Amino acid sequence: MAKSLLIISRQSPWSGPSAREALDIVLAGGAFDLPIGLLFLDDGVFQLSPEQKSAAVQQKDLTANLQALTMFGVEELYACEQSLKERAIATTNLDGEGLQRQSSGEIAALIDRYDQVITI
Amino acid sequence: MSTLHVLSHSPFSDSRLNSCLRLLGEHDAILLCGDATYSLTPASAPLQALEDRLGGLKLFALKEDMQARNIQAPAWASQVDYAGFVDLTIRFDKVNSWL
Repeated sequence: MAKSLLIISRQSPWSGPSAREALDIVLAGGAFDLPIGLLFLDDGVFQLSPEQKSAAVQQKDLTANLQALTMFGVEELYACEQSLKERAIATTNLDGEGLQRQSSGEIAALIDRYDQVITI
Repeated sequence: MSTLHVLSHSPFSDSRLNSCLRLLGEHDAILLCGDATYSLTPASAPLQALEDRLGGLKLFALKEDMQARNIQAPAWASQVDYAGFVDLTIRFDKVNSWL
């Protein structure tokens, strides 16, 4: 049985390559059927805010990659409730994909449950 | 399972320390290295945030990085050298490096 892996993504999509790289790891893991989860924390939840216009800064949109997660078999999708609330993000572009909002206590339990954790 | 959370960024420019403290599990510990050792700066907000959690907090700090920055560890913090760092990574079930 493969070890389970939790990726914690905590950078905004506009702060450099980190957000995209975290997603790439998760999608690659999903493609190999690894038990993999993705948690959006701190500024990472900005990746989830709807209707971003990446073309305005000559970048590619992460939305398509986010929508691909469930297609790649990644169904354990979490976001930190407090991080969303602090940044006034009420609806996310993963709500339709089964994104679960987690309290601090629930996130501590999540980290405990996975075999390995990578925070990017 | 127990997790060793490794922090290496300054708490004065970043939210890693606060988020880590918020998500810390019962059996978890924190290891400060690099600029994260500035968390132990006397009379600072990060030090206060750590001291507020003193009851259950297991905190380690890398001795070499503290010496380099002339930071004195408070009595409640455990200092480790590089060999101690390696021991910790073995002693805990997993390591979460806050990159």
